[in-house]
Amino acid sequence: MNFSAHRTTTGFLLPSIHSAPPFYTQQPNAATQAVFTEHWTRLLLAYARHRGLFVLRVEDAEVSAGGEWDEVLRNPRINRRVKPELLSHILDAMVGKSLAAYEPAGQTRAALLHWRLPEEWAEVLHEWATKTGQLNTILTFYEISDPPDPSALSGIPGALLRPAIAILAKSGRAQLISISDGDGVRFFPRSAK
Amino acid sequence: MHRLGAGAGLAALQRQQESLKSFDALSNQLSTAQVENLHAQLDHFRAALTHFATHHRADIRNDPRFRHDFQRMCASIGVDPLAGPRRGGWWEEALGLGDWQSELGVQIVDVCVSTRERNGGLIELSELVRILSRLRNLGDGGKGSGSGSAGAITEEDVVRSIQALKPLGAGYEVLEVGHGVGGGGRKMVRSVPKELDADQMVVLAVAAEQRGRVDEESLVRKNGWTAERAKAALQNMLLRDGTCWLDEQDGPDGTGRAYWIPAVMQWDD
Repeated sequence: MNFSAHRTTTGFLLPSIHSAPPFYTQQPNAATQAVFTEHWTRLLLAYARHRGLFVLRVEDAEVSAGGEWDEVLRNPRINRRVKPELLSHILDAMVGKSLAAYEPAGQTRAALLHWRLPEEWAEVLHEWATKTGQLNTILTFYEISDPPDPSALSGIPGALLRPAIAILAKSGRAQLISISDGDGVRFFPRSAK
Repeated sequence: MHRLGAGAGLAALQRQQESLKSFDALSNQLSTAQVENLHAQLDHFRAALTHFATHHRADIRNDPRFRHDFQRMCASIGVDPLAGPRRGGWWEEALGLGDWQSELGVQIVDVCVSTRERNGGLIELSELVRILSRLRNLGDGGKGSGSGSAGAITEEDVVRSIQALKPLGAGYEVLEVGHGVGGGGRKMVRSVPKELDADQMVVLAVAAEQRGRVDEESLVRKNGWTAERAKAALQNMLLRDGTCWLDEQDGPDGTGRAYWIPAVMQWDD
């Protein structure tokens, strides 16, 4: 039997290294672990993007199964799983490379994953507002992250929205507004050049 | 007192020297003739070989079997068709194999370097050939696709190219692993300038029989090693060389300790 890629039930293609038993052990050789961490980083970001997942918690690697990360963090075909200590190590490396950020700050148990740059989120956001005819109206963050029709922004945390809006504000395409129950935003059409 | 035979005395000595002189002259004459003869033969041979090589250049480059036979023929008469321009520019011109060989060499280095992070600088020769073949098929962009053996390369070609890389001092080397242990040895290519000691060769051979997995217990059982020796060999590979990976979730209860050697694991991509 060879080590090969595997398609999960949600249609995600796991790379062949995911079928290698040692991939789930923190390597005592730092150079080897660096390579593994890089593979994990790529894998976690790709999966987050595939499923539209924003947050990864160390507890996603705890014993009880059934979480949304199980397809990646576990491999029942070879009876291996990522243990919390390893996930913690990987998260730390991702935060170090700005591919993730601890959220809220000041703890290391949960992090936001940056599978899109703030600039890319800004474009997605503006495009969505334009398409759904919501320019010039005030929207709450909740209306963006939990729209009646699921969008690419469904579930997006405020911590990712705020920098994206700031980028749009710089080019006059959005304005951050304080409203009674938190933050709101108003989008403007792309200014004619 | 008794006298020595007829050859003794001053006269005899002179006689002997004279005959030596004439022998010398004769042998000079003979070797000059021989050298001339040899030169003529060599010229003849060279012309014939060049003729052969230019006529079959395409076959030599494209057909691995033909190339193999040609190389065998050359080897049996002590000629190296792949010797670079420094040893005989006319070969290079006749065959264009020098280019072919250096191109393959570059590709070998490319594959070895790009897979190093996952195999620690050790790759099985058959795997190397497989990746190279894929690389080369992709390279000629549909033109040669379908025609099977055209442009195919063999393990022998790769070994030759690696030998040709030797003067560069990059430390590429072909190793035979596991002869004696269960028959046919495996050829591995080492692309890092580290010596593999005898024990590591044995570990590789054992792992190769088990899809890449090896543990202390199997080394003790198969080789009659002490547990300390098995542990030391594995620790060296794990910590010092990075040629093996640790798995701490081995066994039915998921708490066992096993080692995996990526160089002998079969990857599908």
